[in-house]
Amino acid sequence: MTRNVTAELLVLRKRAATWILLGIWTLLGIFFAYVIPYALDPEDAPGGVEQFFPESLAGTLLAGFPFFGGVFALMLGVFALGSEYGWDTLKTLFTQRPGRLRVLAAKLAALAIVLVPFVLALFAAGAVTSYVIAQIEDAPISWPSAWLLVRAIAAGWLILAVWAALGVLLGVLTRGTSLAIGIGILYALVIEGLLSAFADSVTVLEPLTNVFLRANGYSLATALGASSQNIEANGPGSFSGPFVDSPQALAVLAAFIAAFAALSALLLRRRDVA
Amino acid sequence: MSGPGDLVIETRALTKRYGDSIVAVDDLDLGVRRGEVYGFLGPNGAGKTTTLRMLLGLVRPTSGRVAVLGAPPGAPQGLARIGAMVEAPAFYPYLSGRDNLRVLAGHAGVGEDRVDAVLDEVRLTDRAADRSRTYSLGMKQRLGVAAALLKDPELLILDEPTNGLDPAGMAEMRDFIRALGKGGRTVLLSSHLMGEVEQVTDRVGVIRDGVLVAEGTVEDLRGRAGLRVRAEPLPEAARLIRALPDVAEVTSVDGLLDVTVDTSRAPTINRLLVEAGIAVSELYAQKASLEHVFLELTKSGEDPS
Repeated sequence: MTRNVTAELLVLRKRAATWILLGIWTLLGIFFAYVIPYALDPEDAPGGVEQFFPESLAGTLLAGFPFFGGVFALMLGVFALGSEYGWDTLKTLFTQRPGRLRVLAAKLAALAIVLVPFVLALFAAGAVTSYVIAQIEDAPISWPSAWLLVRAIAAGWLILAVWAALGVLLGVLTRGTSLAIGIGILYALVIEGLLSAFADSVTVLEPLTNVFLRANGYSLATALGASSQNIEANGPGSFSGPFVDSPQALAVLAAFIAAFAALSALLLRRRDVA
Repeated sequence: MSGPGDLVIETRALTKRYGDSIVAVDDLDLGVRRGEVYGFLGPNGAGKTTTLRMLLGLVRPTSGRVAVLGAPPGAPQGLARIGAMVEAPAFYPYLSGRDNLRVLAGHAGVGEDRVDAVLDEVRLTDRAADRSRTYSLGMKQRLGVAAALLKDPELLILDEPTNGLDPAGMAEMRDFIRALGKGGRTVLLSSHLMGEVEQVTDRVGVIRDGVLVAEGTVEDLRGRAGLRVRAEPLPEAARLIRALPDVAEVTSVDGLLDVTVDTSRAPTINRLLVEAGIAVSELYAQKASLEHVFLELTKSGEDPS
C-alpha cells in the first residue's frame, strides 16, 4: 500500500493545480482573515483588533476553513478523481495489479497527506501576518499554546478532509470535474444556506441543519477560539448557527468522511470503466 | 501448472448488453492458447474493445464466464501477469513519460528498474523526461506498449496498437509484436487492419456485431488455394477440367475459371487444355486475401456462413 500511496503522491505533487490551489488558498486566506478586515477598520472587527494578534491565530484562521477552505479542498478532491475520467487514466490504473478499491484508498490517503501542507501553510502565513500586525500595533507578542495550535491544525485538517472527500465522491459520481465542482459549490453556497434559513420556519428541517457540514465545521472552529460574530460576518459563507458541541462535530465530520469514501468505493467498484 | 497449448483466455457465452436494445457482445466463446499471437478482428463497433475491457475487468459482463490466466477478470492475481493497452493509451499529460511509468510501477508493485528497461525497449529513453502531452501519437503508442510491458507479463492485450501510426511506425510496431510473440508471451491483438494481423498472428477470430463469426489460422480463413484459368473457348475448358478426378469445383467468374484443386496440378491441367487445342492465356495459383475473407465475413446483416 505504501507504494500505491507514493505513486499517488507523485501524481498530486507534480500537478500544477495542486500548487496553484495551495498558493491561492494561502494568499486569499490571509487576505480575508487579516489583510482586508485589518485594512478596513481593525477596531470595528467583531473580535476587535485583538483578533489579528498572534494569540487569536487559531480562531481567526479556523473561521475561514468551513466554507472558504472547504471550496478549495472540494476542488482538490474533485481533481484527484474527476480528472482521471477526463484523461481516461482510470483504465490504465485499473489494469495494473492492485484492484479498484486499493487505488481509491491510495488516492484518499495521498489526498489526506496533501491537505496537511495546506493547513500548515495557512497557519505559518497567519503566524507571520499576525506577528507583523502586532508589531505595527505595538502590542505584546503572545502565542497560543502548542496544544491549542495542534488541535486547531487537526480541526482544520478534518474540516478540509470532509470537503475533499465530498469532492472525490462528486468526481466519481459525475465522472468529471466541471459538473462536480459546480454541484459542490452549489451545495456549499446555496443548499446548506437556504435550508438553514428555512429551518427557523420549517421545524422538520431543524434536525437536518445540525448535521450540515458548515454547522459542524463552524462548531469545531468556535470551540477552538473562532468568534461566532466573526463567522456571522463572514460574507457568502456566513453562518449564524445552530452550533453543536465539539464531540458531535467531530463525530459528524468523521462520519461524513467515512460515508463519502464508502459511497465513492461503491460507485467505483460497481460501475464500468467505459 | 499450465502447459503449452492450454487456454490463457477462455470465455463462455460472454455477453454484454447496454439497456434492452444494444448487444455489444453476444454469446462469445473465445479461446486464446498459451504462447500464441491471436488476432481479434472486426470492423469498428463490432465489440472488440468491449470484449477486451471485459477480459480486463473494466466492464462487467451481463452474462457468461471469463477466465484470464485462470483468474476472474480484474482480479489482482490475474492483472499482475497481464499487460494491456486498451484503445488510445492514456497518461497524465503533465507527467513525463518516465514519471507516468513510475506511477504505474508503484501501483503494479514492480521495481523502478523496470521503468528504464521498458523505456529502452520501446526506444523512448531520449524523451523520457519530457511531459507526455508533448509526445507524438506514435510516441504515446510506444509509451502505452512500455506501460503494458512493465510487469514483464505473460499475457499482452493490445487494442489497435498501430492506430494513428505512420507506415514506418506501423511496420515497427508489427516487428515489435512479432518479437513479443517469439519471446514466448501470449499476445491478444485486436485490430481492423488485415495486413497487420496477417503478418503477425498465429490464429485469428473475427467478430461482427458482437458475434464471433469465424476462428482459425490465417490459412484456414483464406481457404484452400485454387487455380485461375483464362482460356478460349471457356466452356470447353471448363468441361475438360471438370472431368479430372481430383477437381472439386469449377466456376466461371468474369471470363475466368476458378478451379478448386491442389495447385500442384497446374502442369497437368495446362497440358490437358493445350493438347485439346484450347488456347490458354493465363493459369495461376490464387488464394482469397484475408481482407477479402474479412469483408465477406463482416458484411453486416448477411449470413456469415
